[in-house]
Amino acid sequence: MTDATVARKRRLGPTWLILPGIVWMALFMIVPIAMIVYVSFWTQTTFNISPTPTLASWKQFFASDTYIGALWTTIRIWLIVLAATFAIGYPTALFVGLFVKSKTLSTVLLVICVIPFWTSFLIRVLAWRPMLGKEGVINIILLKLNVISHPIEVLLFTELSVIIGMTQIYCVFMVGPIAFMLGRIDRNIIEAARDLGAGFGRIFWKIIFPLSLPGVVVGAIFVSVMVLGEFATSGALSGRKVNLLGNIIVTQVGSLKWAMASVSGVILTVVMGMVIAAFLRIVDLKQEL
Amino acid sequence: MGAGCKNLRSTVTGRMTTGAAIFRIDGVSKSYGGVKALDSVTLEAGVNEYVSLLGPSGSGKTTLLRVIAGFEVPDVGRVVFQGRDITGLPAHERGIGFVFQNFALFPHLTVKKNVAFGMMNGGVAVPAAEIDQRCQAMIDMVGLSGLEDRGVEQISGGQRQRVALARTLVMQPKLVLLDEPLGALDANLRGRMRNELRAIRERMGVTFLHVTGSETEALAMGDRIVVLDRGRIIQAGTPDDVYSAPSSPAVAHFLNRFNLFDGTLTAGKFTGPFGTVASPHAVRAPQDVYAIRYDRVNVLPLTATVSGPALKATYIASEYLGSSVMNFFETSDGKVVEVEHHLSLGAPEIYVARQDYLLTWNPEQAIVFGREAT
Amino acid sequence: MESRVLKPILAVYVVAFLLFLYGPFFVLTILSFQQGPDGGPQFPITEWSLYWYKQIFGLTPPSRIAPLPVGEALIRSLVLAFMTMVTSTVLGVMSAQAFRRKFTGSSVVFYLIVLGMMVPGVLTGLGTSLLANNVLGIERHWYTTAFATHVAYTYPFAFLVMLAILNRFDGSVEEASWSLGVTPWTTFRKVTFPLIFPGVLSAMLFAFTLSLDEFPRSLFAAGGSGDQTLPLAIYGTFAVEIHPNIFAFGVLTTLFSFALLSVYGILMGLSVRRARKLAMQEDIA
Repeated sequence: MTDATVARKRRLGPTWLILPGIVWMALFMIVPIAMIVYVSFWTQTTFNISPTPTLASWKQFFASDTYIGALWTTIRIWLIVLAATFAIGYPTALFVGLFVKSKTLSTVLLVICVIPFWTSFLIRVLAWRPMLGKEGVINIILLKLNVISHPIEVLLFTELSVIIGMTQIYCVFMVGPIAFMLGRIDRNIIEAARDLGAGFGRIFWKIIFPLSLPGVVVGAIFVSVMVLGEFATSGALSGRKVNLLGNIIVTQVGSLKWAMASVSGVILTVVMGMVIAAFLRIVDLKQEL
Repeated sequence: MGAGCKNLRSTVTGRMTTGAAIFRIDGVSKSYGGVKALDSVTLEAGVNEYVSLLGPSGSGKTTLLRVIAGFEVPDVGRVVFQGRDITGLPAHERGIGFVFQNFALFPHLTVKKNVAFGMMNGGVAVPAAEIDQRCQAMIDMVGLSGLEDRGVEQISGGQRQRVALARTLVMQPKLVLLDEPLGALDANLRGRMRNELRAIRERMGVTFLHVTGSETEALAMGDRIVVLDRGRIIQAGTPDDVYSAPSSPAVAHFLNRFNLFDGTLTAGKFTGPFGTVASPHAVRAPQDVYAIRYDRVNVLPLTATVSGPALKATYIASEYLGSSVMNFFETSDGKVVEVEHHLSLGAPEIYVARQDYLLTWNPEQAIVFGREAT
Repeated sequence: MESRVLKPILAVYVVAFLLFLYGPFFVLTILSFQQGPDGGPQFPITEWSLYWYKQIFGLTPPSRIAPLPVGEALIRSLVLAFMTMVTSTVLGVMSAQAFRRKFTGSSVVFYLIVLGMMVPGVLTGLGTSLLANNVLGIERHWYTTAFATHVAYTYPFAFLVMLAILNRFDGSVEEASWSLGVTPWTTFRKVTFPLIFPGVLSAMLFAFTLSLDEFPRSLFAAGGSGDQTLPLAIYGTFAVEIHPNIFAFGVLTTLFSFALLSVYGILMGLSVRRARKLAMQEDIA
């Protein structure tokens, strides 16, 4: 036996171990996504679909106010929720990751943030209904406090309710990564800067924020991927008034309009790819983690 | 260098001590990402021999052991064990024992289960009664009786070392590889385990190949020492051979027993900081170096007259080593010269700090390396 | 200076943040004790009662509000989560094991696997149903197509957990086992697996809970009404009017999750305590 064949025999081990995983992901993730692209060019009739290539569904998508509107709504809601989760999550992460000195306490706080995930996702969405409704908790409290004289009606079944719901459900994905990055900052750097007479604002913008940026990017990727692919929250909290690309896909599949669902799917994939690529441009994750 | 290498290799293979070779590695090379860890190494060991493999970290000594064990496959070269080419054989089919520096005990098993592990899970079925009997005998031999049912995290470092050894020896291998087995122990324990290792090996009649970075350990334990540097074997021989006749400045340096002086060797004369000394028996080496053992240097008052080498040096400090005293002197160009005084030769001289002395020695006892030597 | 002011402000903020996080669930819990069957899913509580909990278990007389169709869906979801857990943990352990040696294309494979947790369920779900429905012409079921997409989603999590565990794993115990004449497979069973078991447990927990709650993938990739998993059954109630029974059900599933977490916690705690006890005894000795 030559040395080369010996080496090859050795290297077969990892190949057999990794092969099932590769096959699974190829068959049930790559091929399905390729299918979406493929079927988006199929010919759709009312109840049927045939593989004759056509651009009809694509033209229909870009000619329709409903579909283009859904695209813009998706992007708008994504941007608002992203900003909201960041704005709401960052101070929490700052406290958990940097201000809490004890490791145990910061772990406990993070666990507390994660506990709500033990409730089913759909139930968590649904729980906002009695909160936001006309006779909901927020209106009751505000009325009791005499802040308002009439119940606010725009709280539920509007874009606002969708944004509130998504922000609550996804902000933890922002808190976690940022807190992790903040926790890794060497406290001595901050002490040294303070000794040199730098105020907190200056320390924050010059040291803390740049060092936490990889966490922000990871959090933003998590939130973006999930919000862009959403349809349940928007469906349940907007009373079908807010239509995201995800809702379009669900509706189209429901009425067996596979080609149109696929077009929406491809557009969603493209948007998502661009968003992730843009985030990865800000920070080179491989270098940071 | 190439010629020197060939020369050394023949020294290695020629120096068989006892009986037939139990294993041989032949021109083994191994690189990691362009860095040569082993550079055509050839080495043999005889039946029932204790071989110490000495080298600084990064010399490739651990890689060599891992190649023999079958944890790494050499890029070129062959490994032969008991007359059979095992280069392509996986580790578990080799029957070669391995003792790790960190012991690598199975943390989830008791002492006894650790020792029995190979017999219970190995390819050859061993009857339960025999497993029990062999385990007990081995545990008794390494002095672990009474600790059989302890977890391996519940025993001390020295006891773990014994478990590692027992676990390996109970499989009755003909060759055991030890990768710095005493490195994780404290100094006191290391000395005791050294004797025990030797005693156990003699009782079992098995070949040990012991890798170490400590020259004391290598000199103390091996029937034969093999010195490794940058992936090559640079000297092999009995401890006495290596100690009294290091084959190169590098070996002399590793042994940590020699004062080394730079200088020039011309026409059989070495010129160094101590003057010019006739050196008719110089050893061929890539640079000119003059080596004199710590315990061969004499200290004289500055006023003394000497005929041989003479080196003016300032006394700095001394260190008591138990059986000897190490005195440190500094020459005018800042080089530290060590002088060892064995207490068996009488009480040590008392030197005055910061005072100059004259260091001298018998030039016959020096080892001279040079480019012009043959 | 500033941090002395800032810290309490932030602490108060974090409390408000947690209220925001937990508020809806508290409200939902309170409302689940609404009087039934006439009490609505809002305040005020007309009368505290366990009516809706009883209704879930079929202990109430029939009324105009139909009980939640969750019985069979729950069983389906549990079986699916179990299948997904086993498959993705096995795949995760195998792949992470493969990644212990460098191999060509390892970074491409890494991203291929990790992509599975990034791609939205809408897309994998849609794609898989297209593949089954329009190209292969096979029927979609919770135990076939939905199962495949579930694993494609949970396997990356199991993989990452195992990768983290195996990165810290000292391979010399395995080499020690080989040098004792034990085959690599037996070594894996007798040495590696027992030592990485806490990690395997975490991977299993991840896969099980993710699958149990997975909704978009099931929506597309599972078939008709005979294929409803629990999230699909809950989603079905969205369309029509909601009643406090869904709140009661939410409380129950959360309790179930906690029970699961507790079992996991106890198992982990036991292995950690065992390790600590050993370490302490070592200190004494």
